[in-house]
Amino acid sequence: MSKLNAFLGIDVGSISTKAVILDEGNAILAQEYIWTEGNPIGAVKKLLGLLEKQFDPESWQIVGVGATGSARRLVGSIVGATVVKNEITAHAVGTTTFHPDVRTILEIGGQDSKIILVENGIAVDYAMNTLCAAGTGAFLSSQARRLGIEVEEMGQYALRSTHPTMIAARCTVFAESDLVHKIQMGHPREDIIAGVCRAVASNYINNVGKGKKICSPVVFQGGVSKNVGVVRAFEDLLGCPVIVDDNGHLMGATGAAILARRSLKRTQFDFSVENMEFVTRERNCGGCSNNCEVICVYRNGRLIDFWGNRCERGAARTDETPHP
Amino acid sequence: MKQHRKVALPRWGEYNCALKYIVEQGFEARCILPPPLSRRTEDLGARNSPDLVCTPFKTTLGSMIEALEAGADTILMVPGACRLNYFGELQEQILRDMGFTFEFINLSLYNTGNAKDLLKALRVVNPRRSMVKTARALYEAAKMIEHLDDITTLYYENCGFDPTKTYPKVYRQFIADMYEARNLNEIHEAFRVASRAFEDITLNKPSDPIRIGIIGDYYTVMDPFSNLELEQKLADMGVEVHRLMNLANDMLRGGGKNKQAKIRDFAEYSLGASSTADIWQAQNFAERGFDGIIQVKSAGCMPETDIMPILANLSRDYKIPVLYLTYDSQSSDVGLMTRLEAFYDMVEMRKKVNS
Repeated sequence: MSKLNAFLGIDVGSISTKAVILDEGNAILAQEYIWTEGNPIGAVKKLLGLLEKQFDPESWQIVGVGATGSARRLVGSIVGATVVKNEITAHAVGTTTFHPDVRTILEIGGQDSKIILVENGIAVDYAMNTLCAAGTGAFLSSQARRLGIEVEEMGQYALRSTHPTMIAARCTVFAESDLVHKIQMGHPREDIIAGVCRAVASNYINNVGKGKKICSPVVFQGGVSKNVGVVRAFEDLLGCPVIVDDNGHLMGATGAAILARRSLKRTQFDFSVENMEFVTRERNCGGCSNNCEVICVYRNGRLIDFWGNRCERGAARTDETPHP
Repeated sequence: MKQHRKVALPRWGEYNCALKYIVEQGFEARCILPPPLSRRTEDLGARNSPDLVCTPFKTTLGSMIEALEAGADTILMVPGACRLNYFGELQEQILRDMGFTFEFINLSLYNTGNAKDLLKALRVVNPRRSMVKTARALYEAAKMIEHLDDITTLYYENCGFDPTKTYPKVYRQFIADMYEARNLNEIHEAFRVASRAFEDITLNKPSDPIRIGIIGDYYTVMDPFSNLELEQKLADMGVEVHRLMNLANDMLRGGGKNKQAKIRDFAEYSLGASSTADIWQAQNFAERGFDGIIQVKSAGCMPETDIMPILANLSRDYKIPVLYLTYDSQSSDVGLMTRLEAFYDMVEMRKKVNS
């Protein structure tokens, strides 16, 4: 019996690492979501181990691998990805596949946030935060810690509030001092948390969404979409329902898997990657005053990829070893 | 006998070749080329600049420091239509505070609208210069700038479709020739050689390639180091890259007459600096059916920030996507690549669906 084709999509973000395995019809065969914890290589190996347990290698064969997220390059070369795509395209492709009528995709992740406008199933405009991470998941996490609650609980607290506290949303640093001030003034905790959620939503609309026409249906995804307080704040500010997909946190990985299916490149992926040793080394080229930081990736002591050099002078040689 | 002055202009794209020409052929003085812009230039500039000033200030200050280190004794700074006009004064003060001894020619102080006054400012380079030679060198340097901009325009429009990968070599040789040229014949000859070499390369270009227009603040958009080689990155993706903003178009060829009147639908008044030119160029790209527009600006650039809502209107009216890029002193271009790749993917999918 010949095996059916399956496609793996991996999305390694700053905070979390996600992966899905899809069949030809976009049905999810396996999925996993773990924290990156500042170690993308370790996270991917762990993730593959978890996926392997859910996967039936007797009837399926993974023939395409897509990598996305901020560590896509590194992870792509480790797992031998057939497609390495930026997270904006991956999110747009993933979401439009499951919500063909979507017009606006709001996405707030750990360190970045983006908006994608869609017309007739294709992305027509997008924006991504530049230079500033105000109003992203990292901000929510640090405020949750300050208030002594888990970030996952924030949404429930926020829903209990009837008078959200006004919190300056322009800048994370100012928002934080505003928040401390309001705490010391005696505002109730629920109201403050609701205020934080509102600040995230209005910061997003004022910055990333500036000048963009937000049309319904609106799909909200990324880690922050799991916070019902922020969802409520978006609905209030936009005046329309905001859809949160149960698999919204997997949309980037799903998009990567779909892109791997659409591309014609095929591979024979096996899970042995999880047992290999990967080492990265940063090397300063020193060939000129640019002093490029070249990243070399080694698998079991052999160079498999490098990047960061602006010119040929900085190219790594394949006979170089990880330990100079 | 008095030594020749050693004059330097901070690095700005490849325009230093024109100054070199004027100084050496017109004023018979020496021109010092600061080293190519690098991380070091940016670090030196940022360390000695006010924190919130825009990036071109820091980059040019860094380049001035490197020019002085390389032996320059006279620094030239250009005027501008925004706070750039004040840059020279502040940079001179900072350099003096750092302990450098040098002559500073701040063209802003002579920017009266009368070209003769600018020449007066340059008198210090060589007081015994010949007016005839100077006038001729200025004219020939203008030709050089036109040739440089024309070749650069051709290069970025086509290099993404060159199967032989010889475009960069031709371009680099042409730039080197511009720095070496000593008379008008050599300038024309290098231009002819490069144009012919480009023509001889058979391009592998689709009949309707993806075309993206670049606009942005005067310094960042014209300086490949400052915009992290945006144009080359786009070209490498297989894009026809267009940029109307260059010295030849803006200073020598009038830059499109009556721009303010032409963009009346979007802006009745000028918002300063390159704003009017940018809006006009964006409109021009949109009317020619381009697939996308990218706005390049340094962080804190007010005129460029002010035109963003106008560009959003233009984007809506002409149904053309606009990508807004803000540059600060960054050491990594990963973030830029993410945005460019996504923009390219989007533009490409739109084109497929619409065609």
